[in-house]
Amino acid sequence: MEASSSSTSSPPPPPPPSIPASSAWADASPLLDAACRDLQDGELIHGENFSLFGAMSALEIMDPKMDCGIEKSGYYSIDEAIEDGIAPVPLSLDRTLDIQRTLDVMDHLFSCEATWHKGHTLAQTVFTCIYLMRMERTSSHAILNSFCRILRATCYAVVSVVSTARTHEEEDLFTMSFGLPLRDEGDEKCLSILNSVEETIARQLRACKAQALSRKKTLEGLESLQDNPDLEEDYCRALLCRLRFRKHFYHVVTCLRKPHGRGLELARKHVASCLTELSLMLNSRDFLRSQSNNTQQQGDEICTTASGVRPVGFDASLNSRLLSPAPPRAVKLLSWSDAIRYFEKLLHDLDIICSSPLDPVLENVLHFVVQFQKSVPDLVPRAFLQTLLVQDGKLYGRDLSCDVISRALSLPDIIGDKEFQMNEFVVQLGQLVINLLKILCTNTAWQRRKLGKSLQDWSTISIQLEFALKREFGETRNVLPHENMCMRVSKQLLVWTQEHTYWVAYRFLILGFELDLYSPSEYCMVYWYMYVVLMKLIEQMQLRILASNENSRRKGKKKKDHSKDSSRDTAFPSSCLLLQCYVLLSEGLSMMLAALRNESNSFQLPSIFNSEQERFIQHFDLLQKARLPEHITYYSFRESASHASIADLTKYNFFKEIHKITPSLRGSFASEPEKLAEIRQIEQVAEHNRIALNIISQVGAGDPSLRVSFEFTHHPHFAVAVVKRS
Amino acid sequence: MSAAAAEATERGEPSGGGGEIAYVSYGGEHHLPLVMSLVDEELSEPYSIFTYRYFVYLWPQLTFLAFDPKDGKCVGTVVCKMGEHRGAFRGYIAMLVVLKPYRGRGIATELVTRSIRVMMESGCEEVTLEAEVTNKGALALYGRLGFIRAKRLYRYYLNGVDAFRLKLLFPRPDPGMHPMMMLGNERDDQHMDSPYL
Repeated sequence: MEASSSSTSSPPPPPPPSIPASSAWADASPLLDAACRDLQDGELIHGENFSLFGAMSALEIMDPKMDCGIEKSGYYSIDEAIEDGIAPVPLSLDRTLDIQRTLDVMDHLFSCEATWHKGHTLAQTVFTCIYLMRMERTSSHAILNSFCRILRATCYAVVSVVSTARTHEEEDLFTMSFGLPLRDEGDEKCLSILNSVEETIARQLRACKAQALSRKKTLEGLESLQDNPDLEEDYCRALLCRLRFRKHFYHVVTCLRKPHGRGLELARKHVASCLTELSLMLNSRDFLRSQSNNTQQQGDEICTTASGVRPVGFDASLNSRLLSPAPPRAVKLLSWSDAIRYFEKLLHDLDIICSSPLDPVLENVLHFVVQFQKSVPDLVPRAFLQTLLVQDGKLYGRDLSCDVISRALSLPDIIGDKEFQMNEFVVQLGQLVINLLKILCTNTAWQRRKLGKSLQDWSTISIQLEFALKREFGETRNVLPHENMCMRVSKQLLVWTQEHTYWVAYRFLILGFELDLYSPSEYCMVYWYMYVVLMKLIEQMQLRILASNENSRRKGKKKKDHSKDSSRDTAFPSSCLLLQCYVLLSEGLSMMLAALRNESNSFQLPSIFNSEQERFIQHFDLLQKARLPEHITYYSFRESASHASIADLTKYNFFKEIHKITPSLRGSFASEPEKLAEIRQIEQVAEHNRIALNIISQVGAGDPSLRVSFEFTHHPHFAVAVVKRS
Repeated sequence: MSAAAAEATERGEPSGGGGEIAYVSYGGEHHLPLVMSLVDEELSEPYSIFTYRYFVYLWPQLTFLAFDPKDGKCVGTVVCKMGEHRGAFRGYIAMLVVLKPYRGRGIATELVTRSIRVMMESGCEEVTLEAEVTNKGALALYGRLGFIRAKRLYRYYLNGVDAFRLKLLFPRPDPGMHPMMMLGNERDDQHMDSPYL
């Protein structure tokens, strides 16, 4: 504001050139003063552009819910905290206590690291450690220094993988480093520094063992960790497993980042070593507990160290001023036991990634990611998987996405074909495939939203392809034996695109169950839509198989990879059959719910403001806009649901049909345990629902004592009817 | 934002004993402290006074208060807005609170129904809000009113809990009779997904 309130007699400054010279300048101070007198606390001058974002961005200073700066830190700076002695180096002048406290710092940092991975800021977790904030102070303390250095380097590497994977705001908190000392020149040497410390302690441990055997007093040339010879061996062990865990974990993180997945095998070995060290850490707990002062111990659910003692050297509130101007998120640190469990899960998830065969066949890649997501992995492993799958816009940083597509079309002849690669549809589809892989690595909530939005893009390309095909080659869509290559490629590309569009649509629908987005009164329409989408998916899949059979038939037996192709041809029908099971489950559930609605008035939800039609439109809006499939409206659903009856359902029993399919599926999936487990689940759902249907039919759906509810006890996407009589 | 007024078990008629609850549309500055203290007490998210003013000054007709006639105590409130959002005219329920001892008497349903009705009459095409995934009472209440769970918002709240974005779509009037938009220029809505980091 330019209006000057100073009362000095200096001449007013000349107006800036942007203001016409004819403007007259006036002193606005009295007006402002009057306005200020008129305003009460909390009142504001309301401008037309006053937005909710503006209002919500306002913070009330000194309100404990909003002002993260006021958190009751006794210290105004790290230096002040250090001067006050909260992070002494050495940690104690008593050498045994020094080692105990060093172990506590390591353990607490471990809990902090897990808490950070679980979605909090570095500043509020790992970097609440004053030793880490001022690492130079620890240079005289080799053990602590080497530990902190490698931890910091690991944090930096993990931040880097998560920022590379960058998919949405989930990682914002994770990667914010607020100018923390996350990187230092010496950190490349962290491994060699750690190795030499590890070596020293390992030698000391060997000396202890030898000493125990020979009952000799001391060993020259070696310095003990602390003063009590009886405890030396246990302290050596406790330190070693913690240091080694850090070493192997650092290796895991760096190996996984090697281009083209070249480090996977080595990473896997380090994952196994990490798990071994984790169990040794757990084993050290009894000893550390027995040595700690009982009065300082906290309960297992909250204590962040193995010994149970609160560590020295941390201040949780010092960093709060570094946080962005937002209300502080409540940080509840994971306990040490929970942190162990977190890292075990993390390592198992990373192990799955390491087991990737780097398969270039898209169907298998998609299956791998979907399977990986079943264990609900956290942000860090998902980021690692994404950076493995997509590097420099290529699959594994190795395969061009257009080659991935031509391979999927079973047209090995056109791999590397420039004309195919340059085709605008192939370029666009290539980008969609890469995006799809990235989306599939995000958390399910975000994944569903992005999948829903991408449906429009998939469907637009389908429509354009179809249009182009009609323009160039006329109406026919079946693959004829004697047509030219160009036409065949175009047709197969269209079929492939539509198949994947419906694959995305189906995943979009089933994720709604995992996210609990559907209420029981909506199950009927959701299963009905799933049924419709699955039918289309099978249709496109069969067309693709037909075309690829045609390709291999044309090629004859001269190609050397014939045997591989024919094995794939026979594998495809079983994936169709698996989809057929889902079709039967979806249709069966939808019709069972519709019959219950028709005959017992249940599973309906009348509301005063809208009807089922509006709920249908809302749930399937993105599918409808993308015309997936065409000519499907709420009325198609109502039409097919209105005729459903329990009597008809028992006559044509969808759930019984499933048992006719599964035996042959078991045979084809005999070597794939995950798929066998899936078939088992399908059979259980079918069996439970078959029985439920029988009971309902015997009792009569209209019987007022009948209570039917649906539960997801056997499959995450397909409900099981539970029948009770009151 | 939060909408937390667990209204679990019975719906509809207020149970006897306490007498009829009185529902009042936002009447001015004297109501603001009542609204603020109720929300501060019951909801997890912190709101500055500017946030309250933003709502009650721009859309006083969408804010309602519920009073217990016995002692004149304010026992519940609903705070809303409406405006243009991505080409649709949309209502938004920002806060809904009923004091614990008064829950289960249909007060929240009545409050929110009043607001939604005004929104519908003002030409809104849909109404949205966010609720914690753990807030079964609120989810059931909105489900009964015809809301669907459109999205799940990962770790939406400062306390780390996920939210559901709930949506109520009004039946479309004849295409020719599209309601006129009154308020516009709500550029802020794009930030609604995450008011805080």
